[in-house]
Amino acid sequence: MSKQDMSKREQSAEIPYGTLDLLILKTLQSLGPLHGYAIARRIEQVADNTLHLSQGAIYPALIRLQQEGWISTQWGISETNRKVKFYSLTKAGRKQLLVELAKWEKATAFVARFLEESI
Amino acid sequence: MNPGRAWARLWALLRKQRFERELDDDIRAHLELAEEDAVARGLSREAARLEARRRFGAIEQMKEEHRDRRGIRWLDMLIRDFRYGLASLRRTPGFTLIVVAVLALGMGGTVGMFSVVDAVLVKPLPFPEPDRIVSVWEAPRPGVVNATTVPQFLAWKGSETVFDALAAEQPASAALNEKSGPIRLSGKLVTSEYFKVFGAAAALGRTFARQEDQPGAAPVIILSHSAWQTYFAADPGILERRVMLDGQTYQVIGVLQPGAFDRDRTQFWKPLAFTQQELSSAIHWLRVYGRLRAGQTLVQARQRMQAIYAALLATAPAGEDRDGSIVVEPISRLLVGPNLQRSIAVAFGAVFLVLLISCANIANLLFARGAARRTELAVRAALGAGRARLVAQLLTECFALCVLGGAAGVAVAYLLIRFATPLLWQSLPFTADVTMNLHVLGFAAAVVLGVALLTGALPAFQSSFGDLADSLKQSARGSSSTHIRVRRTIVMGEVALSLVLVSAALLLARSLLKLQRLDTGVRIENVVTMSINLPREAYPTPQKAAFFYNALTEQLRSIPGIAKAGMSTFLPLQWIINGEGIFVPGVERQVLVRLKRVDRGYFNTLDIPVLTGRDIADRDREGAPRVIVINQSLAKRLADVAGIKNPVGKVVRLTSGDYLGQLPQISEVQVIGVIRSERTASPGLPDPPVVYAPLAQFPNPNVKLLVRSAQDIPVVPSIRKVLHEIDPNLPLADVATMQQIQDETLSGVSRPAWLIGAFASVAVLLSAVGLYGVISYSMTQRRRELGVRIALGARPGDVLALVLRNALAMVAIGLMGGLIGVYALTRVLTNMLFEVSPLDPLALGVACFSMTAIGLFAGFLPAQRAARFNPMVSLRDAG
Repeated sequence: MSKQDMSKREQSAEIPYGTLDLLILKTLQSLGPLHGYAIARRIEQVADNTLHLSQGAIYPALIRLQQEGWISTQWGISETNRKVKFYSLTKAGRKQLLVELAKWEKATAFVARFLEESI
Repeated sequence: MNPGRAWARLWALLRKQRFERELDDDIRAHLELAEEDAVARGLSREAARLEARRRFGAIEQMKEEHRDRRGIRWLDMLIRDFRYGLASLRRTPGFTLIVVAVLALGMGGTVGMFSVVDAVLVKPLPFPEPDRIVSVWEAPRPGVVNATTVPQFLAWKGSETVFDALAAEQPASAALNEKSGPIRLSGKLVTSEYFKVFGAAAALGRTFARQEDQPGAAPVIILSHSAWQTYFAADPGILERRVMLDGQTYQVIGVLQPGAFDRDRTQFWKPLAFTQQELSSAIHWLRVYGRLRAGQTLVQARQRMQAIYAALLATAPAGEDRDGSIVVEPISRLLVGPNLQRSIAVAFGAVFLVLLISCANIANLLFARGAARRTELAVRAALGAGRARLVAQLLTECFALCVLGGAAGVAVAYLLIRFATPLLWQSLPFTADVTMNLHVLGFAAAVVLGVALLTGALPAFQSSFGDLADSLKQSARGSSSTHIRVRRTIVMGEVALSLVLVSAALLLARSLLKLQRLDTGVRIENVVTMSINLPREAYPTPQKAAFFYNALTEQLRSIPGIAKAGMSTFLPLQWIINGEGIFVPGVERQVLVRLKRVDRGYFNTLDIPVLTGRDIADRDREGAPRVIVINQSLAKRLADVAGIKNPVGKVVRLTSGDYLGQLPQISEVQVIGVIRSERTASPGLPDPPVVYAPLAQFPNPNVKLLVRSAQDIPVVPSIRKVLHEIDPNLPLADVATMQQIQDETLSGVSRPAWLIGAFASVAVLLSAVGLYGVISYSMTQRRRELGVRIALGARPGDVLALVLRNALAMVAIGLMGGLIGVYALTRVLTNMLFEVSPLDPLALGVACFSMTAIGLFAGFLPAQRAARFNPMVSLRDAG
C-alpha cells in the first residue's frame, strides 16, 4: 500500500449506517439497470474518496433490497463479455426511494437544526 | 418482517446452493470488472488484481453477512445441526441401529394400533352424512328380540316426516353354481330404500327401484364389488348376464362401488318382498335402518316413532303384550359397542407402555452417549459454543435419531396394518377401514416429536449442564454420580412398566387356560361341521326338507370313517339366536327359553348324556305326538318357577316359528328327557335354559351338519359327493372343525391375551437391554474401584456378587413400582378376567420371578466381565 493511499484512507469516513440502501436505490433511479460493480463504482465516484466503501458491502444490501421487492434482477452481458446480474428499480422500489429520501431529509434537517441551536 | 420477505428468506434457505453460486458469480464478475478498470488506469495485471481485491473488502465476511441477510438464522442452524447430527449418527452405526430398532418396535406398535383407533373411533363412517343414519329397534323386553315385525315396519315407513329413507334387512344365503360345484354366497334381503339409507351408489348399473320390493316384481339382485370380482371375474358385461342363484334366474341390475360393503360378509342383495302371511305376522325378524330427514334430531325422531309404535301396539288383540319402547340410535353406536371400545383402549394402553419403555431405553442410551461425548462437548464449549447452542444441537441430534426411528416405525406399522389387521377384521365393525392415512401419519409425527423431547431433553441438559471444564480435566474418568443415578431411575421405571405388562399377560393367559379347561359339555374331538341351507324355491314345504334330511342321514351312514352324524339349527359352543317361550300349566308368565332344533343323532354325536328320560328317537317324526328334550338349566328353572321336580312326562306349550319362519305357532309338547347342559357361546356365563325340539317335528331349512369321524380321516370330500348325489345344486358351506369353532368362541379372551403377551415380550426384551446397558456402564465407571478391590484380594466371586446385588436392587425397586401399577389397574383388568383375581398371587409371583431372573441374566454378563478385570490394567487406565 503506497503512502498516498494511506493518507486518503485516513481522510475518508465510513458510510453512515443505513444509508447504503438509499445510495443504491438513488443510483439505480438515476442511471437505470446496472451490475454490482457499476453500482459500487458510481457510489465511489460521487463520494470522490470522501467515503470509504468496501465494494463487497453492496451485495448483502442488494440481496435485502431484492427480497423486499424494491429491486429486481435480470441477466445481462458485462463489458468484459461475461454473464452478470443487472439490478433495476421496481415500482415498489421507486416508492420506497421517496420514503427513504423523506426520512433522510427529516433526519438531516433535525441534526442540522440541533447542531445550530447547540452552538 | 413482512410475509413476502419471510417467504423469500425461506426460499433462499431452501435454494441455498443456487444462492451461493449466484453470489460467487457476482463476486467473480465484480473482481474481473474492477481488474479491467485498474488495468485501463495503467496498473500491471498483477497489481490490478490486488487492487480489485483490496477495494472489494473481505470476501468471506461479506458472504457470511449475505447469508445472514437472506436466510433465517435459526432454521439454517437447525438444518445444519440436523445434518451434523445425521453425520455423527453415521459415525456410530451400532448405536444408531439399536436406537432405530428400539424406536421402530415401540413406534410401530403404537402407530399401528392408532390406525385401528382411527378407523374405529375417529374416522367418520364411510357413508355420506353418516350422522343421519340410524338404527331403529324395539327395546329388548321379555319374549321379544329387538328386531321388529312387518306391520310395525310398514307403519314406521308410513311416517314421512321423520326419515328420508327407511329400510329393513334380513340375512339370506343362496347357492351359486360354479363349474367346480355349487358354492354358498351370503347376502341380505332388503327393502328398496336400503341403499338410499346408506347413501351407497352403484359402480355399474343402479340400485333398487321403488317397485322392486313388491310381490311379483322381476327377480333382480345387486352384487358387492368384491363378489363381482371374485365370482364373475369383474365382467363388465355383467348387467347383460343372467345369474342362477338357488336354481332361479336373476338379472344383475347393479354392482356396488368398492368400499365398506366389501368388508361386510354380504355378497349380494335381493329385494325383500313381504308375502301375504308376513304382512300380518307378529314375528320379530326385521332389522330396520333409516336416514333421518335433514334437521330431525334423535330426540324428535324417537318421540315420533314411539307414538307410531304405541298406536299400533294398542290395536293388538288382548293377551298379547302391549308395552315396549322404541330406540332410535346412531348407527355408529351400534357398530362400536362398549366391549370393542374397552378392548381397543386396553390394547392401546399396553402398546403405549411399550412405547414408554422404548423411550426409557433410548434416553438411557443417549445418556451413555452423552457421557462418552463429554470431552467433545467440553472442547466445543471451550471454543466458545454457548450452552444454549450445545443443548439445541444435542436436541436436534436426538430429533434426527427419532425421525429415523419414526420412519422405521411407520414402516413397521405399515407391515402390521397390512398383515396383522386381517386377523382383527372379525372383531372390528365392517365400516372400519384400517389404513395408513394422514391422521395416522400426523399422529406418528406427533409421537416422534414427543419421543424426541422426552428422550432428548434430559440427557441434553444433563450433558451440557455438568461442569464441562471439569469434565475436560477428568474426561477419562467420566461423569458425575447424578448421571448414573438418573440412568438407574430410568431402568427401574422400565422394570416397573414391564412388570405391569407381564402381569397383565400372565393374568390373561391364566384366565384363558381356565376357560379352555372349563367343561364345555360336549366332546369335540374329530368332529367336523358344515352348514346346509335349503332354498325356499326348491324346498317350499317341510315335507320336502324332511325327505332331504332323511336321505342325507341314510347316505352319511354308508360313508366309511364316519362314526356318528347329527344335525341341528345351531352349533354347539355358539349362541342360540332363536329365543322362544314355553307356557307351563299353572304359571302365568311364559318361561323364556332358547330353541334348538336337532335330529336324533345330535346328542350322540357330541356325547351329550341324557340324564333322565330318553333321547330323541326315530319315532318322534312328523305326525307323531310332539316332544322336546330340555337341558339341566331349564329343568332347574322349571323347578324354581313351577315347582316341577321331575319334568319328564310333563306337557307344556312351546312357541316357535313355522318352517320358513313366517308364522308364529304354539304347539303342545311333552318333555321326554333332560340332558346335561352344553355350553352355548360366551364361556364363563351361566347356561341359558334350552329346549331341543326334533327337527322332524319342527322343520327348518337351515341346518348345521356335525360329523364325527372314526379316526382323524378326511371325510368332507365324501360328504360333498353324497350331497351332490342327493341335490347337485346344494353347496356345503362353512366347513370347520369343532376345535376351530371353540377357538373362535374363545377368541374374545384369547386375542387380548396373545396381543398383550406379545407386547409384554417386547417390553421384557427392552428392559433387559436397558438393565444390561446400565449395569455395564456402571461397571466401566467403577473399574477403578473394582480394580482396587481385586488388587486387595477380592475374589471374582465377590465381584460377581457385588454387581449382581446392584442389579437386584434396581429390579427390586422397579418391581415394587410395577406392583403398585398393577394394583392401580385392578379395575380395568377385572372385566377381562375369568375366575382369576387381578391380584392373583400365582400370576404376579411368576411375573416378579421372571423379571428378577431377567434382571440377573442382564447383570450377569457385565458382572462376569468385571470379575475378570485385570487390576493392573484397570487401575492404570482409570487413573
